[in-house]
Amino acid sequence: MTEHLQNLYEVLSKVEGYVYPNEIELNWSILIVLYPYITGLVAGAFILASLERIFKVRILKPTYGIALLTAFSFMLVATMPLVSHLGKPLRAYEIMITPHSSSAMAIFGFVYLWYLMVVLFLEIWFDYRRDMVIWANGTTGFKRFLYKLLSLWTTDISPKAVALDDRIGYIVTVIGVPSAFLLHGYVGFIFGSIKANPWWSTVLMPVIFLFSAMVSGIALVMLIYIVLSKIRKQIVDMDCLDTIAKYLFYILIIDFTLEGLDQIHRIYVAEESFEALHKLVFGKLFYSLFIYQGLMGTIVPLLTLGTLQFYKPKAKIRRAIYLILPVLVLMGIFFMRWNVVIGGQLFSKSFYGYTTFKTGLIGTEGYLMAATWLIVPFLILSFLLWLLPPWKKIETSHE
Amino acid sequence: MPLHIKRLIGVFAIFIALFLVMRQVLRPSSFGELGHFRAKAINENALRPMHYTVADSCTKCHKDIRSDKDLGFHIKLKCEVCHGPGLKHALYANRFKNKELPDSLLLYKPGERKDCAICHNMNRARIKIQFDTINTTMVHQVNVMKHHVTDPKTKEALKCIDCHNPHQP
Repeated sequence: MTEHLQNLYEVLSKVEGYVYPNEIELNWSILIVLYPYITGLVAGAFILASLERIFKVRILKPTYGIALLTAFSFMLVATMPLVSHLGKPLRAYEIMITPHSSSAMAIFGFVYLWYLMVVLFLEIWFDYRRDMVIWANGTTGFKRFLYKLLSLWTTDISPKAVALDDRIGYIVTVIGVPSAFLLHGYVGFIFGSIKANPWWSTVLMPVIFLFSAMVSGIALVMLIYIVLSKIRKQIVDMDCLDTIAKYLFYILIIDFTLEGLDQIHRIYVAEESFEALHKLVFGKLFYSLFIYQGLMGTIVPLLTLGTLQFYKPKAKIRRAIYLILPVLVLMGIFFMRWNVVIGGQLFSKSFYGYTTFKTGLIGTEGYLMAATWLIVPFLILSFLLWLLPPWKKIETSHE
Repeated sequence: MPLHIKRLIGVFAIFIALFLVMRQVLRPSSFGELGHFRAKAINENALRPMHYTVADSCTKCHKDIRSDKDLGFHIKLKCEVCHGPGLKHALYANRFKNKELPDSLLLYKPGERKDCAICHNMNRARIKIQFDTINTTMVHQVNVMKHHVTDPKTKEALKCIDCHNPHQP
């Protein structure tokens, strides 16, 4: 009993004011912050790829393949933070075999599977099939086996077959755009539909998540493209980067406006939760919301990108800006997820008190675990870039 | 239809078939019998060990304390709120009449200032009690840092229970 009391004192020292007993410990930790973050990167990267493929922004060609492979690498890992967050990870498959229509998370499993298999896998497969057949002939050993396996031991690369691949690939991308919207809109929906939590419960949540996803995905591909060019000792296509920056600017404006609208609406309506949220925002979330997300992650990139639309400094300076800005944007979007997921659990639903979030370095919910799930996609991406290098592909016009 | 498309459809068909087979194999046996859950889960939960008893079982032996408690602010407080889970104690303590209870059956006796402070320390979020009414839904708040008395003779700090009877505060 004394031990229990000792624990109680420790626990209560984390609390300010009054909180319900089940609100003291945060159930959704940093891993749940990563889940919308990684999913958003997938959706954003895919939308950048579709700009080239469907919306025929040809200047983005150098990033098309990178964007697709990035989306695929991150998609493979997107559910891993969720799975490792579970108390019994080996039961994770049950969500798929006994789904219920009233469970938003169960339906997400199928949305995820659809997006992974029908959209990303098929698009990459149709895009690379001819090249894989050709590369299989030019390589030996394990790599040759992989190419053979992936091209399903087919060798037909006649113009007719390639034209068909291109046509189907195009259709898949057309289906892919609403699917990408669905995928990430759905993640926002999962939070937005929790009506008991005034910090989450807003119909704008799916839209905000969607646009922030686009912002983060575009920034990530931009960064990967620059770093990859550096590693490959290739000259960066500045026109391509300028165009990506332009799109990043446009979408960042929409994202900023939507989030601003959400907050203004909250302030104007000033529901009974307002005072508690006001204290939260200016207290525990001050740095992560105003400094990291707002100032460094949104305002600074917006002003810089806005300036670049009128005034173009030398390519060298622009390249440096394009290297730093995505990092800021990616950090900003990470803290946006953080503010939503962690922020939503820091205040009591009695609106009378607050709790504290503390996580360790090690352990299943620690920072190292989170870092692992952020690093693994890059390892997968490196493997995919080794196996399916977009720069070695035979140029297709995608007409 | 070109060969590669046929093979691709074949791969997807195998994937979907595998999923359907796995769905049959991995679905828990009692799933769906009583609703959208594992029916056996009910039994598994019922078999978990119990720790708490019902309030009346304390009264069987500790009638005097119960009658004290019924007259005071703590009337609605169950014994186990302060003394901890007492099922074992309620079941086996009467076997040790006139003998000392083993440690495993002893209950916690909260007597320190910090014990009372768990509920009674000042907390702005709690609704303040009105002194003239006995309202048991509100908790009397005391600033523990200021409200302390020392023994005039020994100069030692007194505990809350030196002045307040915890069963009838």
